[in-house]
This record gives sequence, structure tokens and C-alpha cells, in this order.
Amino acid sequence: MGLARSGGSGARFLDPAVLARISNLELLARTVVDGFLTGLHRSPHLGFSMDFAEHRPYMPGDDIRRIDWRLFARTDRHYIKLFEAETNANFAVLLDVSKSMAYGSHSVTKLDYARYLSACLAFFSSRQRDRVGMVTFDHDIVEYIPPSMKHMDTILHVLDQTVAGRAGSLKEPLLKITELLGRKGILIVISDFYEDPEEVVAAIGPLRARGHDVMVFHVMDPAELTFPFEDASGFEDLETGEQIPVIPAKLRADYQRLVKNHLETLAKRFKDSRIDYQLLNTSEPLDLALFQYLLARERMSRKR
Amino acid sequence: MSLAFLVPLFLLGIAGVVVPVLVHLTRRQRRNVVEFPSLMFLEKIPYQEQRRRRVQHWFLLSLRALALALLVLAFSRPFFDRTDLGTGANSGPREVVVLLDRSYSMEIGDQFEQGLDEARRIFSDLGPIDRASLVLFDQGAEVVVRSASDRLRLEAALDTASVGSSTTRFGPALKVAQTIIEESELPRGEVFLLSDFQRIAWTGDEGVNLPPGSTVTPVQLATESPDNLGVTDVQLSRQAASGRERVTPTARIVRRGGEEPIETTLTLELDGQQIQSQPVTVPANGSASVTFQPFTLSQPHTRGSVRLPADGLPADDARHFVLSPGNAMSVFVVEGGGAGRDASLYLRNALEISADGRFDVAFRRSSAIRPEDLDGTNAVVVNDVNIDGASADRLRDFVADGGGVLVVLGETSGWPASAADLLPGTIGPIEDRLQGRGGRLGFLEYGHPVFEAFSGPRSGDFTGARFFRARRLTPTDSATVLARFDDGSVALAELPLGRGSVLVWTSTLDSFWNDLALQPVYLPFVHRVMEYVGGRTEALPWFTSGQVVDLANPDALETAGLVSAEAAGLTDGLEQVAITPGGGSISLPAGEGPRYLPLSERGFYTVRPPGSDPDRPFVLAVNVDMEESDLGRIDPEELVSQVGTTPPGVESGPDFEQGAEFRNEDMEQRQSLWRWLLAAAFALFVAETLISNWISRAGGGQAALAGD
Repeated sequence: MGLARSGGSGARFLDPAVLARISNLELLARTVVDGFLTGLHRSPHLGFSMDFAEHRPYMPGDDIRRIDWRLFARTDRHYIKLFEAETNANFAVLLDVSKSMAYGSHSVTKLDYARYLSACLAFFSSRQRDRVGMVTFDHDIVEYIPPSMKHMDTILHVLDQTVAGRAGSLKEPLLKITELLGRKGILIVISDFYEDPEEVVAAIGPLRARGHDVMVFHVMDPAELTFPFEDASGFEDLETGEQIPVIPAKLRADYQRLVKNHLETLAKRFKDSRIDYQLLNTSEPLDLALFQYLLARERMSRKR
Repeated sequence: MSLAFLVPLFLLGIAGVVVPVLVHLTRRQRRNVVEFPSLMFLEKIPYQEQRRRRVQHWFLLSLRALALALLVLAFSRPFFDRTDLGTGANSGPREVVVLLDRSYSMEIGDQFEQGLDEARRIFSDLGPIDRASLVLFDQGAEVVVRSASDRLRLEAALDTASVGSSTTRFGPALKVAQTIIEESELPRGEVFLLSDFQRIAWTGDEGVNLPPGSTVTPVQLATESPDNLGVTDVQLSRQAASGRERVTPTARIVRRGGEEPIETTLTLELDGQQIQSQPVTVPANGSASVTFQPFTLSQPHTRGSVRLPADGLPADDARHFVLSPGNAMSVFVVEGGGAGRDASLYLRNALEISADGRFDVAFRRSSAIRPEDLDGTNAVVVNDVNIDGASADRLRDFVADGGGVLVVLGETSGWPASAADLLPGTIGPIEDRLQGRGGRLGFLEYGHPVFEAFSGPRSGDFTGARFFRARRLTPTDSATVLARFDDGSVALAELPLGRGSVLVWTSTLDSFWNDLALQPVYLPFVHRVMEYVGGRTEALPWFTSGQVVDLANPDALETAGLVSAEAAGLTDGLEQVAITPGGGSISLPAGEGPRYLPLSERGFYTVRPPGSDPDRPFVLAVNVDMEESDLGRIDPEELVSQVGTTPPGVESGPDFEQGAEFRNEDMEQRQSLWRWLLAAAFALFVAETLISNWISRAGGGQAALAGD
């Protein structure tokens, strides 16, 4: 079973440049999610719930508890009874709102992109009847919305009001979050991870250790990846204000190499920690992130 | 020769060379600021130290640094110290003054050319830090170039120098040299006196006193004295014949030098045409006179010249003159109504007897003077008349307007009390001097124009005249007594009144009261008195070079022989132009005030309105001063010994250190290296700008291509 990406009309709603024009986050999330789901060949609303969905033949490895014995009695074949997904799980978005997230070399900043993604994922999860919550943080927790079936609107409101203003770090706020989120759930961490990979993993690792299903979205602006600058300029760190003179042409190769190493290290370290990691380019549509999320959910549900 | 700096402190500015380096290193850091999420990766790249230290365009940096260095050098005023190459370096720089004689005696041979060559040689011998002045002198001194170090300028000034027409005087020239040296800051003064050293040019007491340490170096330019003939004088005696005026020129020739009598020819030219020539033999160191045949003078401003063949000194070989037919002076003689027929016999004959018809005399017997009697009259003789008040008033106006009155007192003389102020004194009673041989004239004011002609020996004896009777005249304070009798009483007194004057002769002018009329001196005396009273001025046939004529002064014009018809234009201040003998023109612009015409050339000056060409223009003849033709020499060393100089060392001259400082400034100023350095720095800045712009554009182009 797999989910195929759609090239249909709904995909256009996933273009971040188009989304940037939609001011209402709920409308945005609804548009994205509905549009995205419309393009899928199969409904992703699958899982364990009281609403029957379909039967499928038993495959070795399936939980025998899920065999529809009544149907076996009638047909003498083993079928697995599938239901509409109704996980009723805790879902929380941990959104980095440090100053570096305010960067954007085109019409969409990393924070914008992250907000769209957060809104979409929360909306998506809300439809799944998950309890949705959200935590924004920089070097501390900025906003905390505990997971709840009723917090979708609050999340959208907070997302709408969020600005990136302070320097950030992962360790302290994530430690606090670990303590806040007692019940296991699905945690989506969205950040640009301008920290040493070891520290990043060390900060996120405890979440995983507490039994959360953690999924990491690494949001990067295309300029951060390619370093396309030409003129010699003073480059100012958005968070610290430090400036250094840079001749981009001379540094580009080194920079790209360092970023590549960083990303590879992060991916490897997350993989080692069994944390789903996805790099997102803010110039690319949201569907990659959503697709990745669905795959992960499916995988999680299977595990259950 | 070494490089030195006038303001070496400016060299500290060479530290400014680091400015372009700093600019080079810091300029790129101050570009636009790019905000970036994190410098985490950039800071890991070890570029920083390298980029800031590496200079990308060494050539541009060198240009900037060099330009700044040149700028600093320019401000420190560099110069090449060539003191060791200069002449006389041990005793400091010199202030050289070249005095070059340009009197007309320098025309002899190639004396003046020798002088020019000598001056050039002196200028070429100048050290690099010496200064020199060129002074051309004759009667005065003209500073052509003052204290200059530019040899080209000095030599150019020599190229324009020429011989003048004046006489030599060393005094003014040496005083100018004294002033130049006194004003100079250089430690030594040297005067070069280039002349033919005529004795007449130096009196020995000119008050020249050169500053201490100055030297005078005479340069004798004269060779042997030539055998020089010169026309020293021309007498122009006039006679009236058949109503026309005839002039007989008599020229006097003086010969200086020679050993044997010499025969030569003297020519007379009138209006440029030779009309007569006379052979003449002149003895060695002697003189001769030549009288030409009389010629008729009919035209005003007739130019004449008496000329000898040119010799070594041509300036004195010609004598120029200008003549105009004379105007008869109108004299009105009024006699008392009761006087006898011979009352003015002697006076009438004396006035009518003049050879050149200079007096036009009218007589009338009356005690009254009518207004028409005074029309066109220059002088009035009141000969023994008891004048009435009205006549006295008319005479008052007549005198105030410039006329002259001679009052001759006699038996019947009387003067109204109302017009007593018209006379130089109060007329008193008749005084007889019958004792012995009668009274004589005991005092004559020979300085007065009336008696000036009789001042010389054997030029008129008034003592022979005996005076037996005279009227007493008590002179007023404003009167001038011109002659007194031997007893001290007044014989002739004058009272200036307005533009004219009134003279009173206290005895008769005929033989009634004295025998003056029988004396030889009577005729010239009467003529002189009448000329003076009538205001006649003898026109000068020529001027001497160096004189200045005021063409706005009527008296000066009359002296210059200007015929009155043309006087209006000059006295009314109309614009005139004077053509010099050399063909140059001197503009005399219209206007009030004096209009001086300097007569510096020998020959004829023509004065006329600009653009006009009158038939007989006003001409002034100018002759050289014959003093200069005396070529007797003075020993140059004698002259130098008489010029007061203090030997060097007796009194300290300008401080040598101060001189050295000045020398440095002088050398720097003359070399002016800073101008070149400044220009080079500017050129380098321009080149640097162009090149950096080009590089910048080229770099931008490449970046754009890379961006595509």
C-alpha cells in the first residue's frame, strides 16, 4: 500500500507562494488538506476506530485479533476488518519561533512556511480526531497549547499571531516540553536547527525517549542551501547581530560543503535515534511534508 | 648637488601613505549589510584573516601611495641645493646692479654695443642664486629690471635698450644702485658701471654712499676720444624789410680734438630742404662762426636745421630751430593835451626804430583815454598826462585783463585820487637835483626782466645818465621798486594788478628832466620796458632734450613759439597727438589740467589734433645738450674712489645665515619642483580613478555573467 502524490488541481494549493496570499490560516489549512487528500488515490483516513471501512485479505504478520471471524465463517477465508482511522492520539507541533526563522530570501519566510505546515498538520490531525496541541519556543517556551480536541482554533490563532523575535536554542525549551507532554503522542518538531547536530539530537532525543512519535521537519530557505549571494557584504547574524565581511563568491563552495555536511549529519543522527527527519525547502510545495507525514502516520498506525 | 627641503616637517605627512592601504583593506567591509539567519557556517570558514590582509590590486595601491607621497613631497618644497656650484659661494650670493650709460655720447663707435655685450657677459656670469638689476641712465636713471634672477628676462631687457639724447650723470644712477643694494637681502652688492666716463658726468659730490661691502666695478667703454665737431649755437637775428621779416642765422661750430685745421661744410635746411651751404675751416680745439644769407620768414612754425656732415658723434652735428613771423606789439602813447610837439620825440623814435618792426605805435594828445584807444593794444604809455578818473578806471580794467601801463611822470602829471591804488605809490612833488652833475641811477634790479638784459658786463651802462628832476613817489607795500636814484628815491616801480602790471617812471623819458635819452642804453631800455609792459615773450627757437613742456599752459606755449591761431586747440584742452622725431606718437588726451610732453629725442616734435594733417602744424625743435659733446674723460678709478663705500668687514652686512636661508628659498622658488610634483600627483590620482573604475566595471561585468 502506498500513497501516490498527486499532480492534480489540488496541488497548486500547496505552493507556498500561493498560500502566502491566504490570510486565514484555517481556510489555508482546509484548502491544503482537502486539496491534498482529493489528489490521493486512497483515503488516508485509515486506522482503528468504530467506523468500518473495508475488508482485506489476511496477510501473514497481521494481528489475528483483527480477523473478521464472522466473515471467515461465511466465506471460509481470512479477512482483516479495516476501520476508519480514529486514533484519538495526542498530536503536538513544536514550532521554533527563534529570530532565524524570520529569514526568507523570497516571498515566504521560514516561519511562514512553518506556520502553514503547522496549521495543515494540525488541521489534518484534527480531522483524524486527534487531540491537537502546539508549543512555540525560542530559547524558552513562548506559547504552550496543551493537546485537546477543542484547541484547533486556538492553535490557528496562536499561529497567526506568532512572530520570530528572539534568539533560540533547542535544549532548554525541549526539555521543558518533555516534561509538559506527559501522555505519549505524535510530536512534530519544526525548526531550522542552527545548532550542532549532536546538540540537536540531544535536545530532541528525550522526547523520543518518553515514547513520543517524533517527526522532525527541518525548514531551510533556498538561500541558506545554495548561498547565491554575489556582492561582497557584511553578513549579520539575525539572532546575535554579529557581522562579518564576506565575499560570497569565495566562500560559496565552502559554505555549501559545510551545510551539506550538517544536513547529512543531522539526517544520520536522527535516523540513528529513530526519529523521522525531513528537510523542507521553503521554495517547494507543502505536499512533500504532508506526504511524509502521512507515510509516517501510516507506519505508526501499522505498528500499532 | 643634493636634494633639500624647505619645509621638511611636511615629510611627516608621508605617513599618510598608509591611508590607501587602510582604505584598501577596510573599504570592502563597509559595503551593504545582508541579514542572514546564522553565521554558524560562515564563521567556520577560515577566510577572514586572509581576506582582510590580502591586497587585490597592488598596482592601484601603488598608484595611490605614490600620489600621496608626491603630494607630501610637493608640500615639503624640495629643491636641489646647488650652492656648491655657484660662483662666489664662499662669500654668499650677490646683488648685481648693472648701470649702462645711454647718453648720446655712447653713439660714438660701437661703445653702446660694447656696453650691451659687457652687460650680457656680467649676466651670464651670475651664480644660480645671484640677483641682478639693469639700470639705463643718462641724465636720470631708469630701472629696467629690478633684482631679478631670470637671465632671460635680463637679456631680453638688454635687447630693447637704445641710446638716448640726453647727457650723462653718474649721480642718479649710482643712487639708484645704492637703493637697490640697500633694499636687497643678499649679503653682497656689486655695481658695474658701464660708461664712456665723461668728466662732465661727475661733480664728485653727489651724495652717493653704497652699503657696506658693496663694490663698484667701472667698465670703460670709450676708446680714444674722436675729433668731434659740433654745432653749439645758432643765433637767429631778425630784420623787418619791406613788411616782411628776414632772418639771418649765424651758427657757431666748436671742434674738440684734432691737430690740424679741418675744412667742412655747414648747411642750412628749412622745412627739410637744404637752402644754403657754407664752407668753414675749424682749427684744432677751436671754434668758428658761419653766417648764412638771410632768408625770408613768411610761414609760421618754420623748421630749420644747421647741419654738419656726420662724424663720430652725430648727435651734436645738427642744430634745429623753429621760427614763426613775429607779431608787432601795439603800443598806445597818450600825451598831455598841452604838451609840445616834441614831447615824445625820443620815445616815438625809440619805438619806431626797432629793426624788426616789433612795435606798432599810436600817439594821441589828450588827457582822456577812450575805450577804443585800448582795443587791441598791448601796452599804454601815459606820458606826462593829468589823467581823469574815467580814464583811470578804463586803465584799471585794461591792466586787469592783462594789459600793461607805463606811467611817465613829468610837469603836468596827475592821477585821480580815486585810482590811487592803480599806482605802485603815491605821486609826490617835483624834486630838483640841480646840485653838481645831478642825480644818477644808483640801484637797478637786474634780476627783473626789464634790466636782466643789462646785467652782464658791458651790456648797458645806466650810470652815465644824469637826472636833474623827478617826481617823488612813495611806494606802497605791494609795489616793487625796480630802480632807485643815488639818493634812494624811487626811479622805477611796479605794481602787479590782475593779469597785467603798472610801471611808474618818476622822471621823463625825453630829455626834459634828464639826459637818459641821449645815452646808448636808452633805446634798449625803452624796448625792454615796453616789451615787459606789453607782455611780449620771446619764443624759444628750440628746447633741450630732457625738458618737459606743459601744453596746457598758455605761457609755456607762447614760449614754445606757438602761433596763437592754433593755441585754442591746446589751451582749451582738446585732444592732441605729438609725433616724436623717431616717428613715435604720444597721445595727449583731452581734459583739464597739465598736459606734459617730455622732450627726450632730438629733432622736431609735431603736435596736432589726431587724424588731422595741418599745413603748418605746431612744431617744437629739440637739440641735445652740448655739454655732452665734451668728451673729456674722468679716470674711472678716481670716480670709484669718490663713491662712498665701506670696505667689507668693517661693518657687518646682512647676516650670512639669513642670506643662506634666503638662498634656499630663492633656489626653491626658482626650481619650483613642487609644481611638477603636484601635477604628477594629480595625474596619478586621475589615472588611479580611471583604472579603478575600469577594474570595477570589468569585475561587475564578470559578476553579471556569472550570475546569468
